[in-house]
Formats: sequence, C-alpha cells, structure tokens
Amino acid sequence: MIHTPLSTTAVLDEAADAVSMTAAPWAGVLIATALPYRFLQALFLDQLFEVGSGASHYGNLLGMTANVTVATILLALWGRAVYARACRLALARGSAPGAEALRVRPAALASYVLTASTAMLLGYLGLFTILGFFVAVMFSGIAIGTMELNDRVSITAPFGRIFRYTKRIAVPFALVFIFFFAMFVALINLAAAFQLGQWLAGALGGFDAPNWQQLFSGGNRRFMLILFGGAIVIVEPFWIAAHVIFVRKAGAEESGDDLRTWFDELRRTA
Amino acid sequence: MPPTTQRCSVHDQRPAFARCMSCSKMLCQECATQWDGIWHCAACLGSKRGAVVQRSPFFGWVGVVTLSLMMLFAGARVMVWMAALIAGLF
Repeated sequence: MIHTPLSTTAVLDEAADAVSMTAAPWAGVLIATALPYRFLQALFLDQLFEVGSGASHYGNLLGMTANVTVATILLALWGRAVYARACRLALARGSAPGAEALRVRPAALASYVLTASTAMLLGYLGLFTILGFFVAVMFSGIAIGTMELNDRVSITAPFGRIFRYTKRIAVPFALVFIFFFAMFVALINLAAAFQLGQWLAGALGGFDAPNWQQLFSGGNRRFMLILFGGAIVIVEPFWIAAHVIFVRKAGAEESGDDLRTWFDELRRTA
Repeated sequence: MPPTTQRCSVHDQRPAFARCMSCSKMLCQECATQWDGIWHCAACLGSKRGAVVQRSPFFGWVGVVTLSLMMLFAGARVMVWMAALIAGLF
C-alpha cells in the first residue's frame, strides 16, 4: 500500500518498516552473502596499504585479490536481489514473505548483474572525481530498485528503466548522502560495540586485555578496514529497502496508482 | 452527496477488499487472488496463466552474460589500476 507521496523522509520511514518486516531471515541472507565480498575488499585495501607506493610492482598480487573480490560480488548481487524481492513482497502483503522471496526471476537477476557490474566499473573510474563515485552509487541504488521490473533479458532495457527513474533525481541523490553519513554513524556504533565487548570480557578475568585493546584500536589498520566493511553491511538492508520503495512510489506517481489508492482510503474512512 | 463505499464489481452487495492490478476492477475477498504479491481478479489471472510466456531471446541472454562478464573483468582491472595510481600519489 502506498501511504504517503514520494519524498525522502517518506521513503526512509517506509524503509524502516520494510527492514523490520524482512529482518528475519532475509536481512541475514543479505548479510551472509555480502560478507565474503566485504572481507575481500578489506583484504585488497590492506594489501594496497602494505605495498604502498610500490603498488605498481605488485600487480599480480593485487590483481589476484581483485579477481577473487569481483568473483564474490556475484554472490553478493544474488543476496541483494533476494532481499529486494523480499522487501517488495513484504510491502505488498504487510507481512514477512516466505520462501518465494528466493524465486528471483533469472531475467531480472541477469539484468541486475549487468547494471550492477556497470555501476561498479563506473564507481572505480569515478573515484578521482568524487562526484562521479557518488553518481555511480546512486545508479547502483536505482539498479536494485528497478531489478524486478525486468521481465525479459535485454542489454538496453534495464538501463532505460534506470534513466526513467532519474527524473526524480533529488530523492536518490539525497539517499546517497543520507546513507553516506549513516555509514559513519554505524561505524561509530560498531566501534563502541567492540569497546563494550572488550570491557565486558576484561571484567571476566583470564583475558589478555592490553593485547586485545591494541588489536581493537584505531591504530590497527585491519581493524579499521573491517569496521568500515561492517558499517556498510549494517546499512545495506536499509539502502536496498529505500530504493525498492523509491521505485515503487515513483512508479505509482507516474501511473496515478498513488492517487487512486489515496481516494480509495478516503472513501473507506468517510 | 455522502461518499459511497466501493463495492465488489462481481458481487454488488459486498464491500471492496482489493483492486485488480491488471484491469483496476474492485474485488471482494472471495474474488481477489494474490499472485506474486499482487492482487488479480479471476479473469486476469486466468488470462495470465493461459498466455504464452514470452521467452527472452537466446541472443539477449548471450549478450547480457557476455557484457556482464566483460564489465566484471574490466572492473577488476580498473580496481587494480586505480589502486596503483592512488597509491603512487602518496
């Protein structure tokens, strides 16, 4: 049911509802499939920091890690597709979907792999421009939102659908910046959770507190990389749900479904 | 004029419960069937079941899979190049 007109706050409100409905087990599926990709991204960055300015001499090492990282993205994309479908079903029914969330149409998944891999490539190419990177992130968000609209395999149609939704560019652009800051909030919370766990474990005794303190500190590069990966994993379910809702709301506005539903609700309550 | 409550398009005496997403008819609980999370009336659901499923063209699949693999391969290469380029700056 479409409750409110399209706006960033309405999308975020409904995304929170969608995540609470799909948290078990579908957010778990999303996180489990995303973990290998995020760990390998952290490993790649760790190796990059390790070799530093001599990175151009370690092409084989970095290339091997990059290949494995890109291979694991396929699993992560499948997890995202399942989660997006679970969100759509939950929004349509008002309750958590069952195993039918796993039945992602092959054409939709193939189209999503194409658009997401294009977004990834654009993201890496746009790293230097900063703005280009954010545009690629926005593109990737709309790609997961429009994934289920692709009922036939085509090279151009999925991109056409994404561009159709960029007419309402203010909302996805606002979502990119909101989730960028949300990632830092998640990072701080995750770091605090580690500190709390360490403090509680220290109170038990027989625990090498100074050593763990060193490992779970900001000075440990690997710990920081894992924290960043963890923060992205925490924010991802909300990010996907927000884009599924954005596409649904924007599509309803275009077709007039939102007005029909609103009038029906008014008639029912009158 | 007082607002009227929506009625099922098949059973006049029953209040509407859902709207068919294909033909927009109002439906009561008995007439509405949910399929893949979307409400349909019996006629539209029947025509959907009877309709020949449009298969994606074979060359469409080949094109999408090939292009996706190329994008992933290029993504891995660009990832390394950009990393080396950025690392070289510091």
